[in-house]
Amino acid sequence: MMPTSAQLRFRTILFWLVPALMLAVPMVVNPYVLFIINGILIFVLITLGFNFVIGNLGQLAFANTAFFGIGAYSSAIATTSLGLPWIATIPLAGLAGALGGFLASAAALRGIRLYYLAIITLAFGELMRWIYVHAKSITGGTDGLSMPRETLLGFSLTDDRVKFYIFLVLTVVLVKATLNLLRSHIGRSIMAVRENEVATASLGIPTSRIIVIAFMWSGFVVGCAGSLFALHTAYVFPESFGMLQLIVSFAMVIVGGLGSVLGSILGAVVLTALPEYLRSFPGMEELFFGLIVIAVLLLLPQGLASLLRRLSPIFIERYYRE
Amino acid sequence: MKQTLNVLAMTLFTALPAFAGETTGLTDDTIKIGVMAPFSGNAASYSKAEVGMMAYYDKINEEGGVHGRKLVAIQEDTACDPAKGLAGVKKLIFQDEVFMLHGNSCSGVALAIRPVVEEAGLPWMIAHAASDSISNPRAPNIFHGLPTGSANGRAMAQFVLSRPDTKRVAIIEHSNDWAHSYSDPARAYLKENGVDPVADLVMERGQTDATAQILKIREAKPDFIIASLYEAETAIFLRDLKKYGMSDIPVMGTAGTDLENTLKRVGDLDTVKNYFVIHSYIDSLGGDKLKPWGDMIKKYNPDEELSTFSFASIGSAIAVVNALEAAGPDLTRSNFIAELEKINNLDTGILSDPITFTHDDHQGVKGSAVAGFVDGQPTVLRSWGERY
Repeated sequence: MMPTSAQLRFRTILFWLVPALMLAVPMVVNPYVLFIINGILIFVLITLGFNFVIGNLGQLAFANTAFFGIGAYSSAIATTSLGLPWIATIPLAGLAGALGGFLASAAALRGIRLYYLAIITLAFGELMRWIYVHAKSITGGTDGLSMPRETLLGFSLTDDRVKFYIFLVLTVVLVKATLNLLRSHIGRSIMAVRENEVATASLGIPTSRIIVIAFMWSGFVVGCAGSLFALHTAYVFPESFGMLQLIVSFAMVIVGGLGSVLGSILGAVVLTALPEYLRSFPGMEELFFGLIVIAVLLLLPQGLASLLRRLSPIFIERYYRE
Repeated sequence: MKQTLNVLAMTLFTALPAFAGETTGLTDDTIKIGVMAPFSGNAASYSKAEVGMMAYYDKINEEGGVHGRKLVAIQEDTACDPAKGLAGVKKLIFQDEVFMLHGNSCSGVALAIRPVVEEAGLPWMIAHAASDSISNPRAPNIFHGLPTGSANGRAMAQFVLSRPDTKRVAIIEHSNDWAHSYSDPARAYLKENGVDPVADLVMERGQTDATAQILKIREAKPDFIIASLYEAETAIFLRDLKKYGMSDIPVMGTAGTDLENTLKRVGDLDTVKNYFVIHSYIDSLGGDKLKPWGDMIKKYNPDEELSTFSFASIGSAIAVVNALEAAGPDLTRSNFIAELEKINNLDTGILSDPITFTHDDHQGVKGSAVAGFVDGQPTVLRSWGERY
């Protein structure tokens, strides 16, 4: 069952209504809750970018932690060493992430697939972490880099409320851009590569270029998330971009729904908010995290997004792999 | 339009109440204290460092509290992760609304949360994380209640040079900030005394063999080795040192290793007979002077397996309670901070060195003792051959 045109219009209204309502959030929550919400917005972008390559392009690539670190360090280095205002470093971080995506796509272009691609991209992430540790004069080494305190239009960027509005705007823009990209001929080509690369090439679609574009978009989105993370924690250091980060974001993709934008959002919200809610019960976070991943894999193998699709056709994403 | 936007922005940004009150976290009969530690994750074992402080607070509460107020500790997990630590500290400050903070074991987390705590203005007594940068440059509300990395690093080098005829010193360390916080000040002290390390080596975390490093050390022929390594890697290093017949060279380790635990790990006294560690206490783990403190911890935590980490936060807890008592019943954050700054030469009865805070210096403990095996027994030393 596909959504009717009226339902599609309602979906569009809903897309803009939710962030509009969220504008009031800083007025009703304390800085701690706002800090968590800001973290969720960052994870939405990380999951979105990650899902773009493994869900939509169908490549088992795990370079998103590398893109995330590249984005965070680009912002931190540009503000601390070059003296750029943080806000100006967001596109820089995105472009640096895209460059990382370009490098990561080289392995895929060489015809490396599945577990081999997974290992190579994992190694790429670890190589980047090695660079963060050892390029001490640029990255601060294991001590990391502290972000300078800044203001934007007279408002302090240490204020979680200011961060929230910036993060929200950027998240909405990048989610919308990703949706538009997926609906474009490039997006359809990306999904065609996922379904059958050889058949796609036989239609005259330049699959290599499509793979590079997908990796670069993923790197751009996650790189921007890295820039937000640098401001969010005001401190960038290598341990934040390790295997644990990768496992968490992979779990978010799986729990939300592979290849689904809605799933990326749901996975990030659920696996950030609920473990945080359980932080007062030592040991429960890890237990919960494991249980929810197992439960979703057993009961909702297509992720939480599939639950919403069952409830209403307005949540059906045409580019989702059924 | 611009004016409307300005009005809207000002409305949004003034809607939240201010949290930094002088008496936030106080009632007539309680003082809320936020305690941060890595209760989960890879560094969860460091949460033992908060056990002593919690037991001391239980003891004070049993004796009637401070001016009739019970000390209520609210624990938050940092998992030794800056983002998680930031969430935890924001919860303590803005949701639980604690009067002060005490604790934290990981320097990376402490450095990340420092701006938040400094801006919020509530007092923070650091109980375990040793990096100097947490309390230097000085913040009005942040105090270091244990020897910092530089104090420990200098104490390590002082002990090394107190051994007669020590001229050739090798350094082996992890390539992380924790290791550098010990080895850099040690290196500086050696240089002040005209000693340049004869070997500067790295052993990465998780390395299971130290042969390459040992062979380089053998070439350098050191009189003493400074090892800024975690406990697991220290055990491997000492094991391999013995394997190559070099266990007669004394090795100076950090406060991140425990003498007795290291012995347990290597399982043979001969391997650790020349191993020395920074030891911030007046006695060894099983010694008579630490026993009352060990009994106190056991009373409130019967299942606690005591290690030197278990005692790490007691000294700073004593300083906190002293200042709370001195501040009187009309406690505020400002008069508590003022009383902390009056603490002068406080003999805690557990730390090897006294605590002194001044208005300009919030790093309260300036030195540390050393522990090593003397005649097969763990012994606390002031310098080479001199018992504490």
